[in-house]
Amino acid sequence: MPTTPGPVLTVEDLSVQYRPALGPVVDAVRHASLRVDPGELVGLAGESGSGKTTFAQAVLRLLRRPGHVTGGTIRWGDTDVTDLDDDALRPLRWSAVATVFQSSMNALNPVVRVRRVFEDVIAAHDDPDRPTDARERAAELFDLVSVDPRFLDRYPHELSGGMRQRVNLALALALRPRLVLFDEPTTGLDVVVQKSVLDKIRELQARERFGAVLITHDMGTLLDNADRVAVMYEGEVVEDLNTAQAVTTGPRHPYSIHLVGSYAELLGERVPGYTGPEIAEPAEVPRPVAHDPVVQVEDLRRRFTRRRGWRTEHVDAVQGVSFTLREGAVTALVGQSGSGKSTIARVLTRIDVPTSGTVRYLDQEQHRPHDVAALRGAVAAEYRRNVQYVFQDPYSALNPTLTVGYALSRPLANYHHLGRRAALERAADLLEQVGLTPAGRYLGRLPHQLSGGQRQRVVIARALAAEPRLVVADEPIASLDVSIRAEILEVLQSLVADHGVGMLYITHDLLSAATLADDVLVLREGALVESGPAAEVIGDPQADYTRELLDAIPHPFARRTSA
Amino acid sequence: MAYYLRKTGYFVLTLWAAVTLNFVIPRLQPGDPAEIMVRQLSGQGEIDPAQVAAVRAMLGYGDENVLVAYGQYLRQLASGDLGISFTYFPFPVVDVIGKALPWTLVLVGLTQVVSFLLGTLLGALAAWRRNSRFDATISVGSTFVGNLQSVWIGLIVLFVFAYTLGWFPASGGYGYTDPGWTASHVADVVAHGFLPALTLMVTAPIGFILSMRNTMVQVLGEDYIRLAGAAGLRERTVALGYAARNALLPVVTGFALSLGVLMGGSILIESVFDYPGMGRLMGEATANRDFPLMQAILLATIVIVLTANFVVDLIYPLIDPRARRAAA
Repeated sequence: MPTTPGPVLTVEDLSVQYRPALGPVVDAVRHASLRVDPGELVGLAGESGSGKTTFAQAVLRLLRRPGHVTGGTIRWGDTDVTDLDDDALRPLRWSAVATVFQSSMNALNPVVRVRRVFEDVIAAHDDPDRPTDARERAAELFDLVSVDPRFLDRYPHELSGGMRQRVNLALALALRPRLVLFDEPTTGLDVVVQKSVLDKIRELQARERFGAVLITHDMGTLLDNADRVAVMYEGEVVEDLNTAQAVTTGPRHPYSIHLVGSYAELLGERVPGYTGPEIAEPAEVPRPVAHDPVVQVEDLRRRFTRRRGWRTEHVDAVQGVSFTLREGAVTALVGQSGSGKSTIARVLTRIDVPTSGTVRYLDQEQHRPHDVAALRGAVAAEYRRNVQYVFQDPYSALNPTLTVGYALSRPLANYHHLGRRAALERAADLLEQVGLTPAGRYLGRLPHQLSGGQRQRVVIARALAAEPRLVVADEPIASLDVSIRAEILEVLQSLVADHGVGMLYITHDLLSAATLADDVLVLREGALVESGPAAEVIGDPQADYTRELLDAIPHPFARRTSA
Repeated sequence: MAYYLRKTGYFVLTLWAAVTLNFVIPRLQPGDPAEIMVRQLSGQGEIDPAQVAAVRAMLGYGDENVLVAYGQYLRQLASGDLGISFTYFPFPVVDVIGKALPWTLVLVGLTQVVSFLLGTLLGALAAWRRNSRFDATISVGSTFVGNLQSVWIGLIVLFVFAYTLGWFPASGGYGYTDPGWTASHVADVVAHGFLPALTLMVTAPIGFILSMRNTMVQVLGEDYIRLAGAAGLRERTVALGYAARNALLPVVTGFALSLGVLMGGSILIESVFDYPGMGRLMGEATANRDFPLMQAILLATIVIVLTANFVVDLIYPLIDPRARRAAA
């Protein structure tokens, strides 16, 4: 098929409404327009709820009731598909527009071999006069995305996350589509894997000349990879940014400025017009100097033994890690998934016990060391109160049937024996400290009535309620929108600055570690590859692995700096 | 392979537990079965202790040590000796059950298989057209019918089809035809079995309908369904090969579990229709305090349900590859 020079996707003035049987009509997309040319990578940015997913579904013509297209046109190549019915659309699907979904985990039918999905898709569109050899084509596609064709005979659950996403990419390219729509294709993947998937997309685009739309809330990825970025805000495309221009002269719309600016701030760059989140900069508050050690970890090892039939296998999840956590200091524990971060957190939370090595807790009064694994009685109670946790997913960390006020007053009653009224007053104070003001408005709410960022603030407030000496924060911002991440980081920072709380910040993201932490520990396959003051580790990494992690961070502003 | 070994191990273990409970429970009950039997045989009046002792010995309730008795019980069980029925004295329990079991197995087995097919099909259809009028009828109707008592349904069915319309015989397993594989006898048996089957069929598919519908509605929200739609696969392929295929997995697990419920339900239904199966036998055994028979029926029911579960366990990895992996 000769490639026509025209755009592969033209969306003009598209509006989508949700009209549920009960409840008010919602305008999810308002007069949005977008154009994609062959070979072009166009980003679609915006936070959750901005309408970008609805927009994508409308473009794919997969919108389900109660969603309705109320205006505008969608053209796949030259064909107006706005009002085509399912039967007329079917032959066009996947050959005009294909897609790669967000969770690579579930995009393949779990009960059949990967090969079957390819065969189904190819057979559904095959020309009976010139049948395609689906076997051969599938193998060819696997080669294209650098996956061994032997994996065609595996089931989806036998593939790793990164590999699965490559397979999805291969599947999207099965019919040589003219446009591929990527919906958050790398969310949930490691930075290193994420980079390799994006590089692959760019490489294939150059070769196959398909246009691409990349939907993500990760501004860094977009600025680094996309040619243009359409910024969506409350259902509207508020700005169609040229990427090169975004990093030089900067965006114009306030929301785009916020998106680009909050990312640039993490990199230590400035964007014209960006003033930062509303919370006052806590960096200016001098940090308390007295750094009493709270927890000392020495030569921690954890070996998991797994029985496979008659054989036993060992996995060394943590191999001789030592560090000290102090009051008023933030230590970041950085590594990819599977590096042993969570195992360390589980040992600190006393869910798990080390195979060898010691974790010692130094008590508040006399700083005597106690072996954490063998804590009993009063010291165990002190440890529980003084070491608190903030979980990754604020959606499941709060009991959905209890109000915020109740969730916060429980630890106050338990640890400080406050009465009901006193506990509620204190809970209100805590909410104000984490930036939920006026607190009265939030006390009576249930978790589902809060946004993700607000929930995480409540989780932080709950950890704070016990007045702990140490907070273990396990990927506290990973499941939040990028524009909220900066704010939550500021809240965490103020905990340390204002309350002298120590923190173990667990993350796969070196960038946020750099902004928050005093010390950084880089973990790989259970062993420390590098540790030291944050500025040194980030500024002058010694280990190759640290450098690899740093390189995987999108840094669009580097172009500006070097130019 | 390890998966199959483990499942076989579980099967043997639960079977052993069931057999042992079957031995223990009667011994914990108050009252002496031998005495009851003698009372039954001799009618009213004085009981001769020697007679009781003789009957006890005959039934295998010796005075020995419990462990010895247990060993003996296991040995008897292995040789297929489950004792003598009181009610059908002097026939061995095994023979009595042997006559009744095929009737129930056919009745319950057939209704179970038909219910499963019908239930999953209706459930899948309701989910595929969710929020349609068809879905609403199926969902609300199922909830309503599912709460009806099967005895009550049985009586209605009996009244309408047997007495008022007179289309089907009201009781028994067969009428005046000679047993054998003749066309007239088979037709007779089918005619007699139809009403009990119909009664069971009213409620038996409900569980399958509801669980199939609900899991399939969930599956329809999965990414691979959206992707199949975006890829332009035919609706039939998506509905059957992608959605129903995945939704079926938990329903299959429910198949064996519901078999036990159905076996229990058949006690009442068989009594209503005077059907010569295990259910009616169980009713008789209970009424007559026929302990050997009750014990044997209980054992047979447990073995059937356990075996059905075992078979499903063995089949499951074939339909869900993820179980194979967990198995390895």
